[in-house]
Amino acid sequence: MDALPAADAVTTNGEAPVIRVDRVSRWFGSVVAVSDVTFSVTPGITGLLGPNGAGKTTLLRMMTGLVDPSDGTVTVFGEPVRRNPPLYGRMGVMSEHETVYGFMKGRDFVRMMGRLRGVTDEAAVDKAIDRVDLAEAADRPMGTYSRGMRQRMRLAGTLVHDPEILILDEPLNGADPRQRVHFQSLLRKLAAEGRTIVLSSHILEEVEQLADTVLLIVNGKLAASGDFRAIRVALDERPYHVLVVSDSPRELAAAVVQLGSVDAVNVDPDGTLVVLSRNVRDLQIELPRLAQSASISLRRVEPLDDSLESVFGYLVER
Amino acid sequence: MLPIFVLTLRQLSGKWRLSIMSVLALLPVIIAVLMVSFEGAPTVREFEDAVLSGILAGAISPLVVLAIASAAFANEIEDSTLANLVLAPIPRWQIVVPKLLAAICVSGPFIAISAFLTGYFAYSADFRSALAVTGAAIVGVALYSSAFVWLGLMTTRAIGYGLIYIVLWEGFFSSFVMGVRFFSVRYYSIAWMHGFDARRFAGFDDFGFGLAVVASVAVFGGFLLLAIRRLRYMDVP
Amino acid sequence: MMGRPEVKKREGTVFDIGYQNYTGPREGRGRARLSVIRNGVRTSLGFGRGALAKVLPWLFIGVLVFIAIIMALVAGAADRLVGPEDADQLNLPSHSDYYGIASIIFFVFAAVGAPDLLCPDRREGTINLYLVRPLTGSDYVFSRWLAFFLVMVAVAWLPQFILLMGLLMGDPRPVNYLLENWLDIPRFLLAAIPLAAYTTTLALLAAAFTTRRAYAAVFLVGLFVITTPFTTGLASEIGGTAGQWISMFNLSNIPVHVNDVIFGEPSVITRSAPAAEMSSWILVGWFLLWTLGPAGVLWMRYRRLTP
Repeated sequence: MDALPAADAVTTNGEAPVIRVDRVSRWFGSVVAVSDVTFSVTPGITGLLGPNGAGKTTLLRMMTGLVDPSDGTVTVFGEPVRRNPPLYGRMGVMSEHETVYGFMKGRDFVRMMGRLRGVTDEAAVDKAIDRVDLAEAADRPMGTYSRGMRQRMRLAGTLVHDPEILILDEPLNGADPRQRVHFQSLLRKLAAEGRTIVLSSHILEEVEQLADTVLLIVNGKLAASGDFRAIRVALDERPYHVLVVSDSPRELAAAVVQLGSVDAVNVDPDGTLVVLSRNVRDLQIELPRLAQSASISLRRVEPLDDSLESVFGYLVER
Repeated sequence: MLPIFVLTLRQLSGKWRLSIMSVLALLPVIIAVLMVSFEGAPTVREFEDAVLSGILAGAISPLVVLAIASAAFANEIEDSTLANLVLAPIPRWQIVVPKLLAAICVSGPFIAISAFLTGYFAYSADFRSALAVTGAAIVGVALYSSAFVWLGLMTTRAIGYGLIYIVLWEGFFSSFVMGVRFFSVRYYSIAWMHGFDARRFAGFDDFGFGLAVVASVAVFGGFLLLAIRRLRYMDVP
Repeated sequence: MMGRPEVKKREGTVFDIGYQNYTGPREGRGRARLSVIRNGVRTSLGFGRGALAKVLPWLFIGVLVFIAIIMALVAGAADRLVGPEDADQLNLPSHSDYYGIASIIFFVFAAVGAPDLLCPDRREGTINLYLVRPLTGSDYVFSRWLAFFLVMVAVAWLPQFILLMGLLMGDPRPVNYLLENWLDIPRFLLAAIPLAAYTTTLALLAAAFTTRRAYAAVFLVGLFVITTPFTTGLASEIGGTAGQWISMFNLSNIPVHVNDVIFGEPSVITRSAPAAEMSSWILVGWFLLWTLGPAGVLWMRYRRLTP
């Protein structure tokens, strides 16, 4: 794989980076959890993806200053994040651990989190709880909450001091579909206000819908970063898969395979064609012409790997 | 600091825990009452060796404090809730100090009441002596708390190492090896007792009061600084 | 008009290259129990985890061995200083006294180590992983008990063998020493069993009532700390039969009295205890009450557990 561009250059929208991770590695004994990762994060939503054990949580913990990198530096607003408590006032962090203080009421928890960050205004506590739609349960001990409610109250505790940066590790664990929609809408709103949000998740669909930028971590290394469609284009060694349904699949297959833009054609038992091509632009022009000249009706033409899931799957497996 | 202090008070004040501490703290009082009932007032030295040093300062106090002070951070680490505190934009000492103070405030009253009643019954309702025993016990609580709060940050097996320290160092070695007394919290607190009531404890100069004060400040401050340093540099789960 | 070509029958084969069903023998409950026992032994001694997990249990074992070494050195030194005949008159501590002298270390080792076998499983919910196997709650708790019991027996025997080696090597006539004292060997082997059973049962019982290891440990040590001076002082003051029975409530001496019955004489620790004057049957019966009773409570706490 070619060397990644330097952290300075890896930004989105040309904005100055808020978080810079520069050649960061972390090992635990002989196990390398994160290996020489470099990227920058700017305002907006950045999705951190990777299979289990890829190093996402370790990376997030280094970005929040909870863990020392074995090598490299992590800076937030240009300052080292490790052992820099004043910086924590500008950050809201929600870890993957779901444990809460069971004896504590939700409101008391959010209030405590606010007080620790210098927020004494009770209206801020109410606002944070309202944002996660838990006003009715706020005066019950958190030990009586469901898993989804605990996650939401923890999120309220993360938002109470109105941080500029939000780092959320698997925040949607335990959330039901309605809560997921609400959460997505909340995140978009927060990002629109200019915040920097880094979100780790296994749910590809949601990251695909939410994130402006995706960071794909595989085996501790940064496999790809940026918009997932642009990543797909960059994976030019892998041909695109295009589904074609027609009224004469075999004839079409025989003709399509001779096109210069086509690498291979697979014909499924049900007559569906899957065309493999590295030059989709030319295929887009040549295929309809070919079908017309052979008097074949095209019923459906659909790219099969124009999704984050496809990109993710390919990068994880290769 | 107040939110962390209140949080820790609540974390350490479980019903079962407080019940067990109460039972443990009652023991020296019962022994004092029984000794006086059967023997009449024991000699000052006998009572100090057997009950105040051997049981209260050497066993009950460190046990009670170990259970409470080591849990101040150890429970947060075990539950992975420490990040809630560590990610606050406050100096690390503003996290450690309220935790330590809360541990002292939870365990202190048990030991203080136990010490006061023990001294009161043993020394024929002499308030000054009873207060001397109480003051010494509180010093012991503070010193043990500082050490065990640090231990709770250093290892998840704080109880095991703490018990070895109490049984072997405070219980065994410090009783039989004279030099160990200079490094024993039990003997520091006994020396404070001597200093508070020199009238009753005149002549007990195996470990000077002045030396005990210096050593106590060094132990308390030393472990506090170590705990702050540890919180600053540790990887937080 | 051309007839439609005959449609060939489609054939296909699925090749199973992934998941394979297990077709070997399934060993059932016995194997499951053995696995839990093996896991318990490894957990107690810190095996299968990092170096730090081994420090605490082996520190305790080191202290127990150290006590035995000191006893052997003292006996050897006495032989050299005053001669073997006079050294015998000194009645120095030996095998019969070892368990009494080291009892507090055994209790603390059990208090610290045994909760590791029960508390984390309940705290983290992993006990369900055991109960969905062909294991009942009774199997689980019995296997955990047996695992720690075996560890305690081994930990009790090791320093006794080291003491034996030390006494043999320190004696100017080792063969004569062995011929005169060979009965100590089966005695100390046997005496380890009540000590191990008693400490294992009480420690696991304390752990059965809390999910935090620390509280179980402190409770158990506190229990021994409470009863020892309380009963010692009170018993000697009151005297007579009442004093003997009060002395029986010194929980740290219960297995040591059984040790005394096996060796036929009170140890240096229990010599002055009024309870030492009780008959052997009462001492053994008392031990059985304090072991089987808590064992019953422990079993009842776990036997109805379901995943």
